[in-house]
Amino acid sequence: MSGSLWPLVRLSLSRDRRSALSSAFGLAIGVASLVFFVSLGLGVGAIVRDKVFPVDTSLVEVVPAQLSFGLLGGGTLDEATVARLAALPGVERAFKKMNVRAPAVTIYRGDFFGRPLHMGLEILAVGVEADFVKQDVLLGEFVDSGPDKPIPAIASTRLLEIYNKSFAPQRALPQLSGQLLTGFVFPVDFNRSFVTSTPPSASAIPSQAQLVGVSDRGLLAGITIPLEAARRINTAANLDAKTFTGVALKATDPSQVPGIVAAVKTMGLRVDDQDRRMAENAGAAVAISTSSLALLSVLICLLAAFNIAHAFSASVRAREKELGVMRAVGASRSALFRLVLVEALVLGLFGGVLGTALALVGSVGLDVAAVRFLPEFPFKPETWFQRPLWLLAGGVGLGVLAAVAGAFLPARRASRTDPARVLAG
Amino acid sequence: MIDAKAIARDYDDGAKGRLTVLDGASLTVDDGEFVAIVGRSGSGKSTLLHVLGGLDTDYRGQVTVAGTRLDGLPDPALSRFRNETVGFVFQSFHLMSGVSALENVLLPARFSATPMGDLHARATAALARVGLTSHAARTPGQLSGGERQRVAIARALFSSPKLLLCDEPTGNLDAATADEVVALFKTLNAAGLTIVAVTHEDRLRSAATRVLTLSKGKLS
Ligand SMILES: Nc1ncnc2c1ncn2[C@@H]1O[C@H](COP(=O)(O)OP(=O)(O)OP(=O)(O)O)[C@@H](O)[C@H]1O
Ligand SMILES: [Mg+2]
Repeated sequence: MSGSLWPLVRLSLSRDRRSALSSAFGLAIGVASLVFFVSLGLGVGAIVRDKVFPVDTSLVEVVPAQLSFGLLGGGTLDEATVARLAALPGVERAFKKMNVRAPAVTIYRGDFFGRPLHMGLEILAVGVEADFVKQDVLLGEFVDSGPDKPIPAIASTRLLEIYNKSFAPQRALPQLSGQLLTGFVFPVDFNRSFVTSTPPSASAIPSQAQLVGVSDRGLLAGITIPLEAARRINTAANLDAKTFTGVALKATDPSQVPGIVAAVKTMGLRVDDQDRRMAENAGAAVAISTSSLALLSVLICLLAAFNIAHAFSASVRAREKELGVMRAVGASRSALFRLVLVEALVLGLFGGVLGTALALVGSVGLDVAAVRFLPEFPFKPETWFQRPLWLLAGGVGLGVLAAVAGAFLPARRASRTDPARVLAG
Repeated sequence: MIDAKAIARDYDDGAKGRLTVLDGASLTVDDGEFVAIVGRSGSGKSTLLHVLGGLDTDYRGQVTVAGTRLDGLPDPALSRFRNETVGFVFQSFHLMSGVSALENVLLPARFSATPMGDLHARATAALARVGLTSHAARTPGQLSGGERQRVAIARALFSSPKLLLCDEPTGNLDAATADEVVALFKTLNAAGLTIVAVTHEDRLRSAATRVLTLSKGKLS
């Protein structure tokens, strides 16, 4: 039965075209801004999460206590402590890490991907277990094959991004990718420094490192090498080769992390959550600005709903006699209620689709403009937006919801039209 | 066709309390009759017509029209009764403005609970009965007063009702046009349609087969 209301809906909307269009446009603006800002928030949030601060939410970085507990001997990370950490409830695996405790420099003289390069650089190195980075190793096995063989080394994804977007362009150096870098061999002198005087007790340990991949888990300001290599160098430099500088605990599930953190603290150890905090702060900043803009957009939608309520109650009042005639020729109260709501639904659908389309066009336009006109910088994304299907459906749904909500009271008023009163002659 | 007993209807009259308009009015109308109801302005003629057509529900008394008991009938059933069994004709036509004559005529189909077949053909046939086939595409603004009233009559005839209820159908028409409309009512009545018309006018009164007077809330 309501199917036959469509012709009447079409009639009344086309007769009142100007008012219908202005109601729908108001709605479209609200929907467009909401979809646009949520899309932007999701996009920027994803960039922060995945590129700028790629934090593995199920990883807990344990470091020794800042102060040694003296006699108690607590706070250091030896094999026994690592075993206790690995046995904590919720921990799937513990990955040991040991810094190369001696300073290190790399001095490069030669051809660097087609450009002559002459550079000396102070670097850090950390040794990790092979399994910790094995998903990012592109070349060979991640094992130390002794002092005469190149040490497999992993670079940081973030470092590579910073190199490509700021360092390389300023120095006219080539752009590099993980694939391109893989296999690159460069000299590293351990136990040598440009900044501090090298300890007289030990002489430099010349080595070679070979890049075998880039990883989010790689050390930002240095290279990540096999644990055994770090041990070997520390031993050769007469430094601590027994205790670890860090342990990465992989939780069975991100929800286990708070429990693990608490247990680690009761063991007198610290959790290095700098990266996590930064990611959380940046994420929260994005979330807060997105939500306030989204709230503003919801207010625009609310305003549009009020506008529709106003327009519909005027229209229902103007059509009083017409509605009375409809009652006379057989319209039930609920049919008139539905008639007005369906009119609103069509407007809402139109406004919702239009608004969502506007948001999409705007966001794609901005993406294109950003690629073309913004200079290169680290972590510059291909797209600043995310456009999941639920957001688009939500935009259309919001348009319909706002229109139908706005038309609810006018529709009820229409259904209560007293034909005897309005038609009496 | 109509069996109405002791209809009582009063209105809220502001500070003065209740205004009694119908006070035990009764009437019976047989199939095929053409009844004219006369009475002073304000005597309650429109009120009575609304009760008989199921437009008003706020009265006391028993009303049976074409076998349907109207008093106490819930809105959906009463709406269906209006849709299928009666047709209304009003003094001021009450056509939808900016909408073609044809679209106006098939308005009842939009609220019909049962499929009505080819609506276009049906509406065209209704317009043919009032002699306006050639004006189907015109909007009310493009029609004369008499033509508008004939479109309104076609709309009332669209669902093939058993009873036509007319409230001053010639009140807004000039003499010649009113004569045409009265002649149309006579033709429809001759074809078997029962008509109850409220009027002030002699020409409609003399066309009727029976004249009733409404006075002091009662019919005589
Ligand atoms: N909704 C209403 N509320 C209050 N009073 C009403 C209402 N409708 C009608 N009346 C009053 O009831 C009385 C009868 O009205 P009704 O319209 O039935 O008269 P009528 O006989 O059709 O008059 P007319 O010939 O002028 O059309 C009038 O006094 C009118 O003022
Ligand atoms: Mg009247």
